[in-house]
Amino acid sequence: MSDAGFWILQLLNALQYSMLLFLLSIGLTVIFGLLHFMNLAHGALYMMGAYIGISVASATGNFWAAFVLAPLAVTAIGAVLYFTLIRRMRHAGPMNQVLVTFGLIFVFLDLVRLGWGDIALGLDAPAALQGTTKFLSVSYPTYRFFIIGLGLVVMATLMTIVSRTQIGAMIRASVENGDMAAAMGINVGRLFFAVFCVGCALAGLAGVVAAPVFSASTGMGISILIPTLIVVVIGGLGSLQGAVVGSLIVGSIETIGAAVLPGAASILIYILLAVILVVRPAGLIPARA
Amino acid sequence: MLEVRNLCKSFGGLEVTKNVSFALEPGERRVILGPNGAGKTTLFNLLVGELLPSSGDILIDGASITGLSVDQRALAGMSRSYQKNNLFEDLTVRENLALAASAGLSKTRWLARDSFHDPEVRSIVQDVAQQVAITDILDAPVHSASYGNRRQLEVGLALATRPKILLMDEPTSGVGPGMISAFNQLISGLPRELTVVIIEHDLDLAFDVADRITVLNYGDVVFEGTPAETRGNQIVRDIYLGDWQADA
Amino acid sequence: MFHQTPTRSVTLAIVLAGLVAYATFGGFFAREIVIEIAILAILAISLDFVAGFGGMVSLFHGAVMGLSAYGYSVLTAKFGIHPIPAAFAGIFMAATFGAAVAAIASRTSGIFFIMATLAFGQMLYTVIFKSRWLGGDDGMGGIPRFDASWIGLDFNDSLQFAIFAVFGIAVCYGVAALLLRSAFGRTMCGIHGNEPRMRALGVSTWKHKTAAFAISSAIAGIAGIFAAQHTQYISPELLFWTVSGEVLIVVILGGLGTLVGPVLGAAVFVLLKHEVGNYTNHWHIVIGLLLIVTVMAGGRGIYGQLEHWLAGKYAKAREGLNA
Repeated sequence: MSDAGFWILQLLNALQYSMLLFLLSIGLTVIFGLLHFMNLAHGALYMMGAYIGISVASATGNFWAAFVLAPLAVTAIGAVLYFTLIRRMRHAGPMNQVLVTFGLIFVFLDLVRLGWGDIALGLDAPAALQGTTKFLSVSYPTYRFFIIGLGLVVMATLMTIVSRTQIGAMIRASVENGDMAAAMGINVGRLFFAVFCVGCALAGLAGVVAAPVFSASTGMGISILIPTLIVVVIGGLGSLQGAVVGSLIVGSIETIGAAVLPGAASILIYILLAVILVVRPAGLIPARA
Repeated sequence: MLEVRNLCKSFGGLEVTKNVSFALEPGERRVILGPNGAGKTTLFNLLVGELLPSSGDILIDGASITGLSVDQRALAGMSRSYQKNNLFEDLTVRENLALAASAGLSKTRWLARDSFHDPEVRSIVQDVAQQVAITDILDAPVHSASYGNRRQLEVGLALATRPKILLMDEPTSGVGPGMISAFNQLISGLPRELTVVIIEHDLDLAFDVADRITVLNYGDVVFEGTPAETRGNQIVRDIYLGDWQADA
Repeated sequence: MFHQTPTRSVTLAIVLAGLVAYATFGGFFAREIVIEIAILAILAISLDFVAGFGGMVSLFHGAVMGLSAYGYSVLTAKFGIHPIPAAFAGIFMAATFGAAVAAIASRTSGIFFIMATLAFGQMLYTVIFKSRWLGGDDGMGGIPRFDASWIGLDFNDSLQFAIFAVFGIAVCYGVAALLLRSAFGRTMCGIHGNEPRMRALGVSTWKHKTAAFAISSAIAGIAGIFAAQHTQYISPELLFWTVSGEVLIVVILGGLGTLVGPVLGAAVFVLLKHEVGNYTNHWHIVIGLLLIVTVMAGGRGIYGQLEHWLAGKYAKAREGLNA
């Protein structure tokens, strides 16, 4: 393969991984920015999306059924968590929120083992997206192009909603100053629930979409949570643009770094995290001054 | 002693502090007056280092402290009491003062000895408690103390580090009329070597304790002078004092 | 603020005596459990030091313990260095790593700090897991215990090692208590109570927090030495995030900020784990739910609740006397 081909391949891989990170980090960061609630179980929701998607696909024989139903199922799970735990822990402080959602990670870990066993499971890409497509000079799996496309569509949709609609304005106002927004009549509680559900749906979507590429395992929740957290720290809490920039940076470093510097690859993003924490602790594009 | 030169602070397009300059003699009692929003608390935040200025300089005894962090400025002798109580709510009054006294003596790093039982720390705790008149509640938890007592502790914390410069941000804020004379006594009883800057809204108290008065409005220094000069100045009357007449 | 109350001393004495008795009269399996409890108790003390008293929750204490274990193991098993200096080296490595992460993350607020500890702990796991030289996920064996023949003891005997481990709990508790009652500990509690005010009083809070993490990580490192010597074999699983999660659960379950609660919590946790293990393979659901329920019920933990209840009774008795 030519040199240019190698780089194009790396860039495409980076872009694909970045899109998955984006789908996860946008939910996490806006939920935190809006409600000061850090949901460590977000990675577990991603995992549930993958496993539920696999079950739906094997029951119906149809990937697209999984594509639609898995995010909905994860949203339902999220709604249950919201009403039983999260609403009550809203004002409980970061330590208690971390503890409770950390407990949830443990619970989901074993629930998955109970429901689906310990062996990693795979999911086939839908027939329409199997095979490869030619792009510039390389052949790249069509399914991965789908992931990139899906991510870009979600990105564009969210950016439009946030910057051009009234709901988007309400979200931005509530992130910047929740008390003021509430005082101005915005129903922050209901807004949060809606945003939380969208965040869960995106996590579930990321899970089912990632399954054909990464396969589902009980460790996938934590192994995606760490890069997602790093994206959120780098991008800045509560910031949509921060999530975009952060996921591109982290995605690129993880994939391109692993290809170019295999020895150091595992610690590259941690070095980046350390640098950001020291130099710009509020993130690159913080949503709040 | 304390000198401020052309201090400016802007938040985006909003200029909150505009070219403020003044100089304090050692032991001076300077009162800062001005309507709400004049930038008084912002000025204090700039002096202690919780805000960095957009431009300008702050000097103690001729040495610039503008580049120093909050804790470094405290070690240089700056101390501040807050407009809203900023105490250690879960501890007793004595423990509050002991923390401040230990910090002032730089006795915060011993790994074996207890600073709270150190004789120097204990003596400062006792002295300050007497100074701010809270000796009777020393062993009570802070959250059980009355608001007035907590305001006194608030000043006590700032005094317990044995500072050279004490900034008091509206010490009588929210306090009943009975306690205002207690604060008057407290301030009058402060050691003469201590340089004191006070933001106050209670004009009787302000004019009573002040050696000089600086009046701020919209971030600008509009007047500086003795209490008598301030009382008579028309601009100051227009923007702030109104019809207020001190007892002759 | 830390206070060594009579209740705490009595509770600690009972737990330690109970562990020694169990090891002495309970047979081989009991000794294994006692050693497991001791390692977890020392780790829990180290976490309570910064989390309960310093207000800095950490999700990497398991990884720090594992780092010390690997340091000790590499130096003794691979380089043949004498166990005592190797132990000091392992503890020093743990302290350095903990301090480094705290220094990097201490400019950020609570939630970022916790996330940073999770991330850097996982980094350690990944590095060690991927290292062929360290044995990868096959782990490393041939790790020696201390040679105490010069004082007439043989730590290869499981009873003597178990009692040594319980002695380790007592020492670590004593060191932590002494530090918490010192000027350093007072200042750390002050930072927990109101960090901005402590800065305004002249304390460099990030330096203090870094030092606190160094101390806490050193104690976690001691747990790591025991862990390496216990099975005389280590694997990267020691650094997996679930270990850090479990010690956090132990601290909360026992009683955050009581110092003796975590010791009690460790005993309860290990015993519970073995009991539950007889019925099901799904221990994580149990502790996950236990953590959630404990936190949502007020978060005091077993010992914390006991202290609270006793304090209430004491106050009522005083009221009764004054009436």
